[in-house]
Amino acid sequence: MNLALQTPAPQASNPIQAAKVAKFVALTFLIGAFGLAYVYLKNQQFVLAEQIRKTERQIRDVQSRNEVLIARVTELSSRPALQRRVTEKFISVVAITGDKIARLTPPVLATENGVIRTALNSEPAQ
Amino acid sequence: MRIAWACGAGALVFTIVSARLVDLHVAKHEEYSRFAAEKNTVRQIIPAKRGLILDRNGDKLAVNLPVHTVFADASHIKDPESISELAARYLDLKESEVAEKIGTGGKYLVLKRKVPDESVLKLQAEMRERNLRGIYTEVDSIRAYPNGSMLGHVLGYLNHERKGVQGIERTMEKHLAGEDGYRYTERDRTGREIVLYRGQEQEPKHGKNIRLTIDMGLQAILEEEIDATYRDLKPHTVNAVMVDPKTGEILAMASRPSYDPNSPGSTDPETMKNRSIIDMVEPGSTFKIVVTAGALNERTVDEKSTIFCENGRFFYGGRTLKDHNGYGHMSVHDIMVKSSNIGCAKMAMMMGGEKFHEYVRRFGFGERLGIELPGEIPGLVHPPSRWDKLTITRMPMGHSVAVTPLQITMGMAVIANGGSLMAPQVVKSIESQDGEVERKQPRVVREVVPEKTARFVSNSLAAVTQPGGTATFARVNGFDVAGKTGTAQKVSEKGGYAPGKYVVSFVGYMPAEDPRFVCLVMVDDAKISSGLNYGGLVAAPIFSRIAERSARHLDLVPNRPAIALQPDPITASLKAAEGTR
Repeated sequence: MNLALQTPAPQASNPIQAAKVAKFVALTFLIGAFGLAYVYLKNQQFVLAEQIRKTERQIRDVQSRNEVLIARVTELSSRPALQRRVTEKFISVVAITGDKIARLTPPVLATENGVIRTALNSEPAQ
Repeated sequence: MRIAWACGAGALVFTIVSARLVDLHVAKHEEYSRFAAEKNTVRQIIPAKRGLILDRNGDKLAVNLPVHTVFADASHIKDPESISELAARYLDLKESEVAEKIGTGGKYLVLKRKVPDESVLKLQAEMRERNLRGIYTEVDSIRAYPNGSMLGHVLGYLNHERKGVQGIERTMEKHLAGEDGYRYTERDRTGREIVLYRGQEQEPKHGKNIRLTIDMGLQAILEEEIDATYRDLKPHTVNAVMVDPKTGEILAMASRPSYDPNSPGSTDPETMKNRSIIDMVEPGSTFKIVVTAGALNERTVDEKSTIFCENGRFFYGGRTLKDHNGYGHMSVHDIMVKSSNIGCAKMAMMMGGEKFHEYVRRFGFGERLGIELPGEIPGLVHPPSRWDKLTITRMPMGHSVAVTPLQITMGMAVIANGGSLMAPQVVKSIESQDGEVERKQPRVVREVVPEKTARFVSNSLAAVTQPGGTATFARVNGFDVAGKTGTAQKVSEKGGYAPGKYVVSFVGYMPAEDPRFVCLVMVDDAKISSGLNYGGLVAAPIFSRIAERSARHLDLVPNRPAIALQPDPITASLKAAEGTR
């Protein structure tokens, strides 16, 4: 018996082409990663946009409150309000008499040369 | 074979679907994009802030107060009862009313307007806490005038469309209003903005701040004094104007009756009139500065000339012109000091009608002076061709002519500043939000008389307030005051003059040698006895009080020895009346 004839014929095989598989897997991962990154970034954009919206609202609220407070301060420090408080004796105002005023640099009187000042001219006309 | 048919059918279906997708995404991209945008995109208005109005020292006179318009979208409301209860609690509404509105199912149901910021913040906080939705707000603002009625005539107010309808709010509207911005954005089905899909955006241009020439310190003084006059003497009106004669800047301006611009709707329209620029009156003797300055400048008379004043009775044109006292020969100086009607009439006659009329116009009477306030009138000055025979004798003493209180003040400022007619200005600068400042420069309308003439008239006016003059009650301790009284019988609406009714005034300046301000006080039909109703008795003491307090505010250094000022008869009579009650 021919031994050679008894040797089983070699089986047809499809060897795994590791390089190609690796490429495919890498490409799949890459595409997957791109996809996930895209979704992640898109999600982040929405989250950030939402944060922007909230921050804008907070800023608007603070600005609004600030304006209310400015208006309130203006109202409370307005002359009629202060006058009312003086009338109610909440604030006491003492008039300063002329003899209690010490002038360190008395303004120069324009009467020195007896000439009135003319319009638009801070210096006495000569 | 069957497999082939199945595959073919599947391929066909996928091809059709793909074709449709391509059609939708590529061919009809524009159409559907526009459709989607129309459905979800909104043009959000970003409101511009209205500029503030400030006084010359930066005090805020008009500010913006943020408020909200609260509305409900019934399509978003899942729990109407809770929403109604919350809205009613924070907006001070009836729960049943809110429930009824929500029940209509509308998408924009205004629950309340002009809701204060704090109420809205509390409402929104509780809605977030209880996870409710369906109530939204739109930011709005109202104009607030912290000083109430003070300076109301100058400031004006806004209508419901936030447009200025009176005062500075109206004349400076284009600067104050600014320009709203906008933003294209999309909303999700709950109505929330999707910030990511914001599109074209235009920032708002905020309104510019207007800085006035008004000094609120002086304004407060002026208003307090005319308030007291309006209360005590119960006149028809009181006007007061204070200007810087060298620049024409209005330092203070007030009229009574007045109104509060915070609530213009509940005000009688008559009280809204800024009478300093829209009322005409016969000025009376304050007008004598015109004929005196004109006659001196035309050399019709000189400083040494004397004029015979007919011993107090001058028969001319079929009528007798009278003086308060009988005077003989008087110098021009004395004619002013004693306020002789006959002397002034004769000066005008010597000048001639044409020349006199020219000086009346040169002083700014009969023309709008151009103040930045709405409704200024020119007054009424007839040309000589329309005069009757008496006009030449009546106009020099301030009759047969109608002028505004502002014109009288600016006319006196001509004498105070050395002969120039300044344009009155109430706006000092326009300031943008980025710090750019546009300053308004003082403007000389014309040179009316030379300085020498103005000085002579000024010296005469300074003597008017000295003993022997007609306005001794206008004196101020420590200062020389120059000025002129005016007492004119009131013109009747039926024609002629109303008996027993007078418009009395005093217009003066201080310090006389270097005036810091010119101030007019005009009281129309004070309810006091005719024997006391004179400019020198009614208006001059008010001027004195205003000037004294203003001198302190402006830190003017007294340069004259102290004098004992006697109490004026009006105050004395009021005190006496108070004592008998």
